[in-house]
Amino acid sequence: MALRLFVLIPLLLACAAARAAPAAEDIIRRAIDHYRGQTSYTEMTMTIHREDWERSMSMRAWTEGDERTLVRVTAPRKDAGNGTLSVDGNMWTYSPRINRVIKIPSSMMNQNWMGSDFSNKDISKDADIVDQYDHTLLDTREEGGHTVYVIQSVPHEEAAVVWGREVLTVRDDWVLLEQQFRDQDDVLVKTLRALEIAEMSGRTVATVMRMASEETPGEWTELRTGSIEFGVEIQSGLFTLSNLRNPRQ
Amino acid sequence: MMLLRAGIGRLAWRNLWRNRRRTLIMLLAVVVGVWAMVFMSAMMRGMVDEMVRNGLDQLPGEVQIHHRDYRDDPSVVNSIAPPAGDLLAALQQPPVSAWSARVRVPAMVSSAHGSRGVTLLGVDPAAERALGSAPRTMVAGRFLDGVDDRGVVLGQRLVERLETGLGKRVVIMSQDPDNNVADRGVRVVGIYSARLPGDEERFVYGGRAAIQELLGIGHQVSEVAVIGDGYRAVAPWAARVAAAAPELEVLSWRQLDPFLDAMLTLQDGFALVFMVVVFQALSFGLVNTLAMAVFERVREIGLMQALGMRPGLVLQQVLLESVFLLGLGLALGNALAWLSIKPLESGIDLSSVARGMEMFAMGSILYPALDWRDMLLSTVVVLGLGLLASLIPAWRAARLDPVRALNSH
Repeated sequence: MALRLFVLIPLLLACAAARAAPAAEDIIRRAIDHYRGQTSYTEMTMTIHREDWERSMSMRAWTEGDERTLVRVTAPRKDAGNGTLSVDGNMWTYSPRINRVIKIPSSMMNQNWMGSDFSNKDISKDADIVDQYDHTLLDTREEGGHTVYVIQSVPHEEAAVVWGREVLTVRDDWVLLEQQFRDQDDVLVKTLRALEIAEMSGRTVATVMRMASEETPGEWTELRTGSIEFGVEIQSGLFTLSNLRNPRQ
Repeated sequence: MMLLRAGIGRLAWRNLWRNRRRTLIMLLAVVVGVWAMVFMSAMMRGMVDEMVRNGLDQLPGEVQIHHRDYRDDPSVVNSIAPPAGDLLAALQQPPVSAWSARVRVPAMVSSAHGSRGVTLLGVDPAAERALGSAPRTMVAGRFLDGVDDRGVVLGQRLVERLETGLGKRVVIMSQDPDNNVADRGVRVVGIYSARLPGDEERFVYGGRAAIQELLGIGHQVSEVAVIGDGYRAVAPWAARVAAAAPELEVLSWRQLDPFLDAMLTLQDGFALVFMVVVFQALSFGLVNTLAMAVFERVREIGLMQALGMRPGLVLQQVLLESVFLLGLGLALGNALAWLSIKPLESGIDLSSVARGMEMFAMGSILYPALDWRDMLLSTVVVLGLGLLASLIPAWRAARLDPVRALNSH
């Protein structure tokens, strides 16, 4: 009897822990939903920093679900009007100067998006992490009045992912604090960090995020959110090639 | 007349051996010259053969079958059904000795540390081996197991560039026929080294069925590579294959790789130029010897003419002397060349200059190739030019004035 009790107690404890902390996959799902929302409209500034230069671009972005994103550059003037549309993992860019919509071929999906430290793939497929990875909760800790989950995400065998694993740190209000990209020797290659967190249109979001490569310490790209609205009404035809070319919004 | 001919011939033969030392030296010069020509052309032919064969292994095949638009736009859209019916029958007929249906599309391979544009080959490893186009040296791991192998085989340099390794995952990215991204994570199951470093970075091998699945093209392939019984005689059977597949583009390697074709033509031409140059050196010796033979015998020739021998016969006699000399030299020279090349046909190791050889797309072992046509060519060249060269002394001998000749010392 006593013996059986000893076996039961840890089991019960484990169940309790599982109930208290949501499943790792859930946390990721909710973190992504949290910053993308069902639909969202964001005004932001992207700063690309290098050793000897730095430049900023202002842009507006619309998202719907996981698979649809439209980004339009508003400043500086020489880049204004450039757009990127991403639907179902495919990606197109439009530049008013050449007045042409170009589909990003697969060979360029790993290249920089507008010269930043984000790749085209980061922009068009960032929600893939939910179902192309196996997620495990590594650690749960208390930090500044919040519970913080550290989750390891290992890509599936045939997932089109170059990383060995990603380590995500998510706060219990679903703000993604940090995302580490590690190679298959577990060497940290690049990190996405939330530098500032604030409340915007009713949600706590990371307003400044920085993607930094570990190999070249002086190089990073920062996304500073000026304003964000969730649950905006998306006009039909927003995520289409014709809208990319002839902006109605 | 016949009797006269025989007499002249005997006279010429005896004249040849009157000054034994001079004739032997001349004979030696001809033998060495002929030997050098045949030997060097065998070496050059070996080099050219090697170069062309390497090129064909890489192309690969002596004949390739494509969709008509594939060569202009090597995309997945321009694929063809695997050989069936008439085409399959044509491919199973000699002299076709092996063929391989392969998927060949531009793709991107990425690791956490970089990405490179490559040519992705979806192959059947067995057919590829028969064709001779499978990588010959595996540095690590294995080559593909079969068409269903879901791993990939990368070149050593590509592995270094991507900072990946055996057993690690890389991502292959290409496009499906609808221009959508087709990508998949795959494990590196083998690393090969190629003779040309550029190829190591360019070609990535995967199982054909696995690649077809990735690209969503069913059983379609990009090209069929075929080899027959020798790269020089491709046209006849290529035409037969082309007739069996009228809607496809069937091209021989000469059309597919005009550079290789030009190199072959150049080398063949170069061999001829080389022979002529060797002969130039030889001909001075020949002319000199025959001229000396004539000068030494001025009195004798004058006497013969005084006795009624016509200048035409004198000309014939001197020419015959050189024909005998050349004939003997040719026979000995060719025999010597044959004897010296036969033992070397298993290959000459040139690994000390391997890097230089790589520049010419060649390996470090040279296989000399003796061709009877080279021997025939050198014989014809030596005989033809030799007779031309000996015309001058013969002409002078025939034009001697008997009175003056008899009075000279």
